[in-house]
Amino acid sequence: MNERERLLRRIQAEDFAVVETVLYLDGHPTNKKALAFYDKHRAIAKGLRDEYEGKFGPLTIYANNDMNDWHWIDKPWPWESGAN
Amino acid sequence: MWAYEKKLQYPVKIKNPNPLYAKIIISQLGGPDGELAAATRYLNQRYSMPYGEIIGILTDVGTEELAHQEMIAAILYQLTKNLSMDEIKKSGFDTYFVDHTTGIYPVSAAGVPFTAAYLGVKGDLFADLNEDLAAEQKARVTYDNILRLVDDPDVRDPIKFLRQREVTHYQRFGDALRVAQDNMNPKNYYAYNPEFD
Repeated sequence: MNERERLLRRIQAEDFAVVETVLYLDGHPTNKKALAFYDKHRAIAKGLRDEYEGKFGPLTIYANNDMNDWHWIDKPWPWESGAN
Repeated sequence: MWAYEKKLQYPVKIKNPNPLYAKIIISQLGGPDGELAAATRYLNQRYSMPYGEIIGILTDVGTEELAHQEMIAAILYQLTKNLSMDEIKKSGFDTYFVDHTTGIYPVSAAGVPFTAAYLGVKGDLFADLNEDLAAEQKARVTYDNILRLVDDPDVRDPIKFLRQREVTHYQRFGDALRVAQDNMNPKNYYAYNPEFD
């Protein structure tokens, strides 16, 4: 696993923690423990995302930070087995 | 993957409910040239495409079509809010109401349920991009026809926005076709399929 894949795996794990907690919070909107868990993991995910996008290009259309080129269309796309 | 944003792409603010309009406009959700077919067609065509520009256009237009499904659903929701049974019966909306009440179910204006037969995915970039160019024109015509049938400016305003997006998407698929042609042997575009051969 290269550095890009390692970083992506950590983002996938943190994002999954957020998605999973969001489902729970939708049905338990006042649960303080779940809110704290959500807050912790979304902060970690955001930091990792910024690091990834600085090194490997945008994960969303809002993160093309190179004003000399449009990297959104760069390979690999996520359905390539080496890219996800 | 996708993340939902809790906003419409363009505002929908309809003061007067009108179940007849809902019965017509629902075709742009579940009809042959509707937004559900559009999003599904483009997002599913992406995988075997060989060029980043085309994958980008299909991803971003397909994603916008998901947002358009939500706008059509918002229009339908507001058009069918607080209806009396009398309005439902007189408008002809009763044939939809009996099966779906005022829930949002993808059908054409004639009541035909959504079907994947409305999609085209051929796995050949020229076949698929020409399908997409035609799809945008057909959706634009449907919006033109809706504008011929609907007088309320509150309804026409978001419909006009959606119509204009079909025109823009047609132009962007034109860009995609140019990229495809630029990557081919200019003497014979169709000698092979870069998605497969």
